[in-house]
Amino acid sequence: MTTFDSRWMNSWMDTVNSDLVMPRIGRYFTAGFLLGIGDEEWVVSMQRGQIERITDNLSIETPWSFALRAPRESWEKFVQKIPPPMYNDIWAMAHPLHGRLRMDGDVKVLWQNIRALTWMLACMRQVGDREVVEQRATRV
Amino acid sequence: MTALHEPVTGRYVYVPHGGHEYRIYYEEAGDGIPLVCLHTAGTDAREWRHQLNDADITSHYRVIAFDMPRHGKSIPPVGFEREEYRLTATFYSEFVMAFCDALELERPVVMGSSMGGNICLHIALNFEEKIRALIAIEACDHSPGWYISWLEHPHVHGGEACATSVYGLMAPQSPDEYRWETWWYYAQGGPGIFKGDLYFYSVDHDFRKLNEKITGNVPLYLMTGVYDFACTPEMTEATAQKIKGAESIIMEEIGHFPMSENPVTFKRYLMPVLETIRGVGSGGGA
Repeated sequence: MTTFDSRWMNSWMDTVNSDLVMPRIGRYFTAGFLLGIGDEEWVVSMQRGQIERITDNLSIETPWSFALRAPRESWEKFVQKIPPPMYNDIWAMAHPLHGRLRMDGDVKVLWQNIRALTWMLACMRQVGDREVVEQRATRV
Repeated sequence: MTALHEPVTGRYVYVPHGGHEYRIYYEEAGDGIPLVCLHTAGTDAREWRHQLNDADITSHYRVIAFDMPRHGKSIPPVGFEREEYRLTATFYSEFVMAFCDALELERPVVMGSSMGGNICLHIALNFEEKIRALIAIEACDHSPGWYISWLEHPHVHGGEACATSVYGLMAPQSPDEYRWETWWYYAQGGPGIFKGDLYFYSVDHDFRKLNEKITGNVPLYLMTGVYDFACTPEMTEATAQKIKGAESIIMEEIGHFPMSENPVTFKRYLMPVLETIRGVGSGGGA
């Protein structure tokens, strides 16, 4: 089971920010968006395709344009290496037929940046790899 | 050095329909029973390149894949700039048959995916005497939810938005190179064409009260991948149960674009169907 805590978010941020494709496809992705994971909410602040900050300390100082909210179970399936059918994509989960994820707010920003957004969300599937590497490094 | 060529030939044919003379591009390979392949919404016949190059198929079938008007190399009719494009079941089914007539195809098999699968139901209903068999891939009687304004919006990059919106319809097991090739096709559609096709796919195509009217005289195979979230296996199976004689085949580890996202996996399921249609073998499925 994935624990979506600060450590996980930091690892995801590192993965996205070290990705070689993001600076190109995310060049104009400067916006904040909200990730709702069960009852917990995080705001991801994007600056030119890089994650500038992720915080769960939400206030009027942490504006966001669109929100992706889903039950924890949806995100747990989404981040699996081989996600099961209907959980491999945010649009799959959000499709009106399935309703496993809700898109709210200014979704125009989402559609404008859908390529980079989809790419960086797929990076969530590499977070486990990074943690394994870090644990091994610690043991050595 | 001898250049490497594929055994595929591309040509243009003029198809008269509804007062227009449509200049239609098609590719073909092989000899035998005509097998007309229909592409998905917003893209073109390049999706069928693997099947056009597969000698196991082309040794028994004349495989023909054409670009619908406004798609690929088939230019739009004169005056398109003044119209909002919305594909309808009537135009689509009649145009497929007009294309078959133009090529003088005798009782072809029609195989289509997504909107090309859904139209097979209309062809079964209205043109059964002219068809040998129908292979409806990723099809069901009603597939709502895809007629979305963001797919044609001046503030949104149409190519990236259309292509990325369908990327997740493919299975994670499908090879990256073929998934991104399918994404590429989608990135190249004309403005508003994907959305206009989806008018048929999600709005005009409502076959729920028509399933029982199909006679069953023409073999109908409904093949759906488990990663298709637009037309799920359950939706396909429910439709097949309502249509006399229809057979549903559920494909593991594949999504909404079997022919282009994973031609190897798709072939395992397709070959038994093609063998049955030509009178060899005992049934569909892998």
